[in-house]
Amino acid sequence: MAEKMKIKEHVESDEIISVSHLKIAFGSNRVLTDFNLGLRKGENVVVLGKSGCGKSVLIKCMVRLLAYDSGSLKVFGKEVQGLSQKELDSMRLRMGFLFQSSALYDSMTVRENLEFPLRRHHISSNKNEVNERVKETLENVGLYHAIDLMPSELSGGMRKRIGLARSLILKPEIMLYDEPTTGLDPITAREISNLMLRLQRTYNTSSIIISHDMHCARLTADRLAVINDGICYAEGTFNTLQASNDPFVKAFFN
Amino acid sequence: MAIDSDPNSPGAWSRVFGGMRKFFAEAGDISAFAIRFFREILFPPYEFREVIRQSYEIGYKSFSLVGITAFIIGLVLTLQSRPTLVEFGAEAWLPAMVGISIIREIGPVITALICAGKIGSGIGAELGSMRVTEQIDAMEVSGTNPFKYIVVSRMVATTVMVPVLVILGDTIALYGSFIAVKLKGAVSLKLFLSQVFESIDYGDVIPSIVKSVFFGFAIGLTGCFKGYYTKKGTAGVGRSANSAVVIGSLLIFIIDLIAVQITQFFGIF
Repeated sequence: MAEKMKIKEHVESDEIISVSHLKIAFGSNRVLTDFNLGLRKGENVVVLGKSGCGKSVLIKCMVRLLAYDSGSLKVFGKEVQGLSQKELDSMRLRMGFLFQSSALYDSMTVRENLEFPLRRHHISSNKNEVNERVKETLENVGLYHAIDLMPSELSGGMRKRIGLARSLILKPEIMLYDEPTTGLDPITAREISNLMLRLQRTYNTSSIIISHDMHCARLTADRLAVINDGICYAEGTFNTLQASNDPFVKAFFN
Repeated sequence: MAIDSDPNSPGAWSRVFGGMRKFFAEAGDISAFAIRFFREILFPPYEFREVIRQSYEIGYKSFSLVGITAFIIGLVLTLQSRPTLVEFGAEAWLPAMVGISIIREIGPVITALICAGKIGSGIGAELGSMRVTEQIDAMEVSGTNPFKYIVVSRMVATTVMVPVLVILGDTIALYGSFIAVKLKGAVSLKLFLSQVFESIDYGDVIPSIVKSVFFGFAIGLTGCFKGYYTKKGTAGVGRSANSAVVIGSLLIFIIDLIAVQITQFFGIF
C-alpha cells in the first residue's frame, strides 16, 4: 500500500497539469462531475468526447478563463483557483492557448498580432530583437510572407497557423489546443496536425489537444482520454483504445 | 388569450415584476462596471498609447459628421426662429437667442446623440465581435488585462473627446447661424459674434462642457458594457450595438435633465 502511494506521489510530482475530482456545473447543467487527468512533461494528451461534454470547459479552467466548483486543478504544482492575479499572469506566460476560432486580433496585422504578447510583457524592448523573434516564429509555421496581411485576408488554415505562432512566440511549456483542425479540409487538417507535432519537438512543449479528428489524434497523441458523463471514461494509447470493445469508445474509431 | 390581456392576472404581474427585476439587475451591472472602471484607471499599467489611438479613432473620425450636423442645425435653427422674432420686432436678439440655445442645450445634446449613434454603436459592435470570436479571452490568456486595455482606454477616450467635439460643434453651429443671418441681412461676423458673446457667460459655457464630459462617459460606458458582455454569437453583436445606442441616448437625456436641475438649483442660469 505504502509502495503504491509512493508510486502515485512520484507520478503526480512528474505531472505539470494534474486534475482530480473536478466538478463544474452551469446552473443545473452538470458538465464535469468527477474528472481526473494528468499531463506529464513532454507528453501530448488528446481529449475526446461528444460535443458539449465539457472538453473546452476543461482547458478553459486550466488557464482560469472559467472557474470550477470543486476538486483540484494544479498547473506547475499550484492550484489554479488559489493563484493571485500576478501569479496567474506568470503562469499564463508559461502556457499557450490555440482557440477554436484562432482568435486573431482583427484590428491588427499578422506582425502586430505576434508582437502584441512580446510588447505587453516587455519580453524585448529592442525593435530588432522583436522583429527577429516574429520572423523566426512565422518561418516556423511557414507563413513569413503573410507578415503584413490582416487576419481578414487569411484562409482558415493560415489563421490557425498564425494563431499557433502567436501562442508559441512566448515559448510556452504547455500548449492547449481547442479543436485545432475543426472546420479545415482534410489536407490542411493533416498539415496542421503535422505542424503541431513538429513544433512540439522544436519548442519542447507538452500539450493537451481537444479534438474530434481521429487523424489528428493518431498523429499527435501519446495518450488519449475520453470524456463521458462528466468523468474520464477511458484512457490509454491510440492503439489500446482502438482495440477497446466498449461501444462508446469504439464509436470514435468507427 | 383572456388571461394575457387581463392586467390583474398573475401572468401579467409576473411579467411586470420580471421586467422590473431585469431592469434593476442591468442597472446594478452597469454600476458595477462603472465602479470597476474607476478602480482599474487608478492603478498601473496605464494604457496611454491605446488611449491616444482610441481618441484619434473616436474624435477625429467623428468630426466631419458632427461638423456637418452642427452647421445644418445652426443654420436651420436661425432660419426657423427668425420669422417669430421679426413678428415681435426682436430680430436684433436673434444671434443672442440662437447662441444661448446652441451653447446651453442644442450643441451638447445633438453632438452627444450623434456620438451615441456613431461611437456607442461602434464600440458595442467592436467589443461584441471581439467577445464572440474569443479575442478578449485570447488577450486574457496572454496575460493582458482586457478590461484595462480595451474598456478603460475607450471610456477615457469618449470622456475626453465628446466635450472636444461639443466645443467644435458649437463653434461650427454658430458659424452656420451667422450664414443664415447673413443671408437675410448685412451683418459682419465680428458684430454677430459680439452679440452672441455679450449674451453668454461662464455660467452657460462651463455647465455645458461639464455635462458633455458626463455624456461622453455615458456613451463609453454603455458601448463598452454592452459589447464586453455580448452573448449568443453574431446575433448578440447586433443586439449589443443596438442597445448601446438606445441606453446611451436615454442616459444622455437623463443626465441633461439632472444637469438642468443642478444648474437651476445653484442659480447658474
